[in-house]
Amino acid sequence: HVEFIKRLDKKHDELEYWMTEHLRVSGIYWGLVALFLLDKPAALDHQQIVTYILGCQNSDGGFGGHTNHDSHLLYTMSAVQVLLMLGALDQIDTKRVTDYVVGLQRDGMVSGDEWGEQDTRFAFIAVAILSQLGTLEQLDTQGIVDYVRSAMNYDGGFGSGPGGESHAAQVYTCLACLAILGQLHVVDRERLSGWLAERQLKCGGLNGRPQKLEDVCYSWWVLSSLEILGRVHWVDRQKLCGFILSAQDEERGGIADRPGDVPDVYHTCFGMAGLSLAGFKGYALKPVDPVYCMPKDIVERAGLGSWTDKVPESWRE
Amino acid sequence: MHGRRRQHEREPTADEKAQAQQRVERYCVLSTQVAELKAANTYTVEALSLTKQLLEQNTELHSVWNYRRQIFMHLDSWQDMDARQQALERELAFLLEIITKNIKSYWMWNHRVWALGALPRPEWQRELGLVAKLLALDARNYHGWNYRRFVVAHLRAAREDAGAVDEQEFAFTTEQITRDCANHAAWHNRSKLLPAILAQRGEPQAVLQAETDLILNAIYTDPDDQNAWLYYDWLLDIQTSDTDRVRLLRGKVAAIRELLELEEDGKWPLVELVGAFAELDKLQPGAVTDVEKGEALETLRRLKSIDPLHIGRYTDMLRTLGGRWGSLAT
Repeated sequence: HVEFIKRLDKKHDELEYWMTEHLRVSGIYWGLVALFLLDKPAALDHQQIVTYILGCQNSDGGFGGHTNHDSHLLYTMSAVQVLLMLGALDQIDTKRVTDYVVGLQRDGMVSGDEWGEQDTRFAFIAVAILSQLGTLEQLDTQGIVDYVRSAMNYDGGFGSGPGGESHAAQVYTCLACLAILGQLHVVDRERLSGWLAERQLKCGGLNGRPQKLEDVCYSWWVLSSLEILGRVHWVDRQKLCGFILSAQDEERGGIADRPGDVPDVYHTCFGMAGLSLAGFKGYALKPVDPVYCMPKDIVERAGLGSWTDKVPESWRE
Repeated sequence: MHGRRRQHEREPTADEKAQAQQRVERYCVLSTQVAELKAANTYTVEALSLTKQLLEQNTELHSVWNYRRQIFMHLDSWQDMDARQQALERELAFLLEIITKNIKSYWMWNHRVWALGALPRPEWQRELGLVAKLLALDARNYHGWNYRRFVVAHLRAAREDAGAVDEQEFAFTTEQITRDCANHAAWHNRSKLLPAILAQRGEPQAVLQAETDLILNAIYTDPDDQNAWLYYDWLLDIQTSDTDRVRLLRGKVAAIRELLELEEDGKWPLVELVGAFAELDKLQPGAVTDVEKGEALETLRRLKSIDPLHIGRYTDMLRTLGGRWGSLAT
């Protein structure tokens, strides 16, 4: 897997390499998380990465997915997380990035960029970025909580916005957002835990909503959500690990969305994170924080681990 | 990144390698060209055409979609409403062509939203028809349903009678559910519309009864459909009085017993039976008999073998209910 990740930046003869240029910054984040969890952080050149990431910052303070690509919260998030993991957060102007993020909030809701797409993912990202920069108080956090609550559905799950169908990835972003803000009590814990537990299919894999296919990335979105709710034991973790491992590419390394498919760094990241959360012992994986999807020790050292203290009393059996 | 099968490839021939190399070069040349024009703030018809070529090959280049919008808005023709109408209608047609390449592309849907918003004379009803066709092909399409809600919101705002739009949408979900009662997206949408429908119809109780009949029908059709049970649970939740809730929960228990006669190990009826007793007990202590409490606990034990994936959940429930019901937990 380490070799798979190291080779990613060398595939200049593949069209796919160039066609995914626009999310290179996120690709680096996914690769680094997997490497850090495997306890092989030095497998990539940190200085090179930091220089590249800094070069992706635009004049509006946000980051694009590659140099000279327009800013977006998605890539600003990945950039900040990478810099945090590499201990280089001090190399950016906190105020510039904060102003960019705060500027994207209007009437409580957060857009992904100046073009206005609204989604609970962006509410989470805004909160997560500013918590990492230590400037969370500059956001209208009540507005964000109201927006997240408006995305809650009859099944206890969360969608992309008011009216959006429940989807495991949106559930993760809403829970993680509420966790950082200490507002988890608004969640229907019983209903949501039940809904999440039912994502596990007989093959052991997890899907994102009822009657959809299993996919390794849901090992993260669903499992981290259950971890925040304190209910990871509501799924069969061993079977899940079996599923994730069967989606590995034994020849090339890396993990795919499901067994037999082509691996990619995104599924490698979330597969590893899922294995770590599920307690897989085989790779001596480091513990991962379910809110930030970064190694727990890094999150704690950055002073971001205190969200666990704000989990409702009644949730701690 | 999703759903691509691994192939055991033989080593490509020199010819194939050369062709692949050419494809990469052609793409990079175009991509660089567009990037340079963008950096120089070039807002010309030629640049517009180049962005189209590039986006046809890669729909995920959100910076290029941004640039394309900026070009449109900087052209002289943008100020002429008729020219703008034509240009954006062509743009909508272009999007429809390529949406099938990647129906899950946020960027393409965003661009469509922008185009609709910028049209001097947008045709919202037409858009509704269009997205209905799309949903007929893929009833669960997340982006499609979100887009439908966006269109409906505009129709609502434009009409004096917002209630009529709600009824239209409610009828749409009924149609979807009649076609396939396992259409979760339709049930979900319905859950968002029902409160408004209840508020504007004369007899909410009649509506709720009809709704209960509808969901029970779905449950009898497929007792394994978890979503139908969730909707049923929610219907019980939105009842206004506890007396109503107790009555309906008893009705639920009766319905479950019927299902268990057909299949005594049905997971969902069993899980829901336990849930119903737990809920009844909370609403009205004494409403649940000792026999029923014992049955609930025994059911949880059985569920551990019927549905071993979720042993953790059933163990937790046994501990909670066992604790609440004290000495019966033997």
